[in-house]
Amino acid sequence: MTERAVLFTGVGGQGLQIVSKTLAIAALAEGRDVLLVPRYGGAMRGGKTNAELTVGDGALRALPVVTSAWAGFVMDPSFWESIRPHLASGAVVVVNSSLFHITVDVEDARVFPIPASDLAAELGSPMSAGFVLLGAFVAITGLVAVDAVVDAMRQLVPAYRTQHVEANERAIAAGAAAAPPLAAPAWTDVAAMP
Amino acid sequence: MTKRLMQGSEAVAEAAIAAGCRFFTGYPMLPFTELLENMAAKLPAAGGVCINAASEIEAVNMALGAAATGARSATGSCGQGLALMQEGIAELALNELPVVIFNMARGQQDYFQATRGGGWGDYRTIALAPKDVAEAVEHTQLLFHLADLYRTPVILYGDYVIAHASIGVDVVPLAFPPTPPKDWVVDGTTSGTGRARQIWTWALGKPNTPGPGPSRAWEDIAAKYGQIARAEARHDVDRGDECEVLVVSFGTTAVFVDRVVEDLRAEGLRIGSFRPITLWPFPGDALDHATRGCSHVLVYELNGGQMVDDVRMHAADRSVVRSIGGVSQDNSGMRQGDLLSADVLRRRVLDAVGLPRGAS
Repeated sequence: MTERAVLFTGVGGQGLQIVSKTLAIAALAEGRDVLLVPRYGGAMRGGKTNAELTVGDGALRALPVVTSAWAGFVMDPSFWESIRPHLASGAVVVVNSSLFHITVDVEDARVFPIPASDLAAELGSPMSAGFVLLGAFVAITGLVAVDAVVDAMRQLVPAYRTQHVEANERAIAAGAAAAPPLAAPAWTDVAAMP
Repeated sequence: MTKRLMQGSEAVAEAAIAAGCRFFTGYPMLPFTELLENMAAKLPAAGGVCINAASEIEAVNMALGAAATGARSATGSCGQGLALMQEGIAELALNELPVVIFNMARGQQDYFQATRGGGWGDYRTIALAPKDVAEAVEHTQLLFHLADLYRTPVILYGDYVIAHASIGVDVVPLAFPPTPPKDWVVDGTTSGTGRARQIWTWALGKPNTPGPGPSRAWEDIAAKYGQIARAEARHDVDRGDECEVLVVSFGTTAVFVDRVVEDLRAEGLRIGSFRPITLWPFPGDALDHATRGCSHVLVYELNGGQMVDDVRMHAADRSVVRSIGGVSQDNSGMRQGDLLSADVLRRRVLDAVGLPRGAS
């Protein structure tokens, strides 16, 4: 039984918590089991904000502390060192290359630089950079379908923020378009998925 | 069954409401804050009231007042906030008022607080320590039942992981046997009849309806806790085939123990696990039984050594009991630190039993 753990890192204000939750809801909607553990402290904007997501079939064996993750989702370099030691060798590392210029020092890592902040700015919605990177992440991995991410995002955006739904949707699409499709598939049968 | 992605705090809030909680109050304090937020968002629609208190002392006393009127009432904080509530918790116990207290703890350093308390008088608090969100949903509902059954304050010992982890959950309302009618509530129905009710720690009553007085009342309350100790101890044990090594842990930590025990057993070590589900009453008889024949009883708790006292008190041979945990706090101060790790636990188990770390 395959379980895929993803470590997210960023700074408060980049939407990392909503992005990780979107991916968890999408995976649950596709019939997988999920365990999502956010990691944040008292600091908000600019402070450390991480999350750990495990996705699998059936009852998860995953512990609520991930120490050997299959993938990294890196919005920002500030707290990169807090996840780097916990990425498995050969990890898929999708980085926001608009901000992240560090060499990924993880054995045999498969690194995918996506200029998420620049793409979001070009779309006129710099706040949606997290969704750009999420669109790219799922396009690269097929962890869930891109459409499932859009549906989950629509569910998750609160009523008083619905004006951002379209921009988020464009961001997800732009990220997916900027990424090499299924370059690092999460599931063996992923290529057969619609 | 439809599973929805819910953070532990949201799932616990829904479980509390499903269990009939209609009054909730608290003062924000991470990682308890999200439970308060969820109760504030959900309780009014269920016909209940949620009040953001000005302090933990105000919260516990408001919860006391609501319980006195017969409402299913709850409050909470983290251990630091529960420290402030101790006088109120003692008053709840000595006034025999049912309130559920959620300790969304910042770690495992509140074991003494949960099991010994810091108030005055002969009382204990039933304390349940779920190991994950799914169990927290069940324990929350069970606690409202036990609080009413025994008319006592009870504690859910959660933590950052349980408060914040999200899983797909379906909150299923649990059915419990009926609890005694609340014929003691102060709800105004007997006002002016000469038989108005009174709830008072000293239990002296009024001139025309005298009470038993403090000594009798407190003797009865102490006896009630003896009865609870005999009836309500719960535990989880996995001894495999006659284990030689038994690892004892509680709460979230137990999930890590399960994993390490499974791995080491597959490698040939005769190892098992024991988990008190009720921290109080501590399942002492079960631990005595489980530790018979063990040459190592290893206590893995993330504190300076608290539950180990209860383990020593009840283990079949206390000379084989050893702590393999320790104080471990993340720099945020909000959650357990690096010791909450299957790798660290594995090394500590192997070191304790004198086996090389690489293999067993």
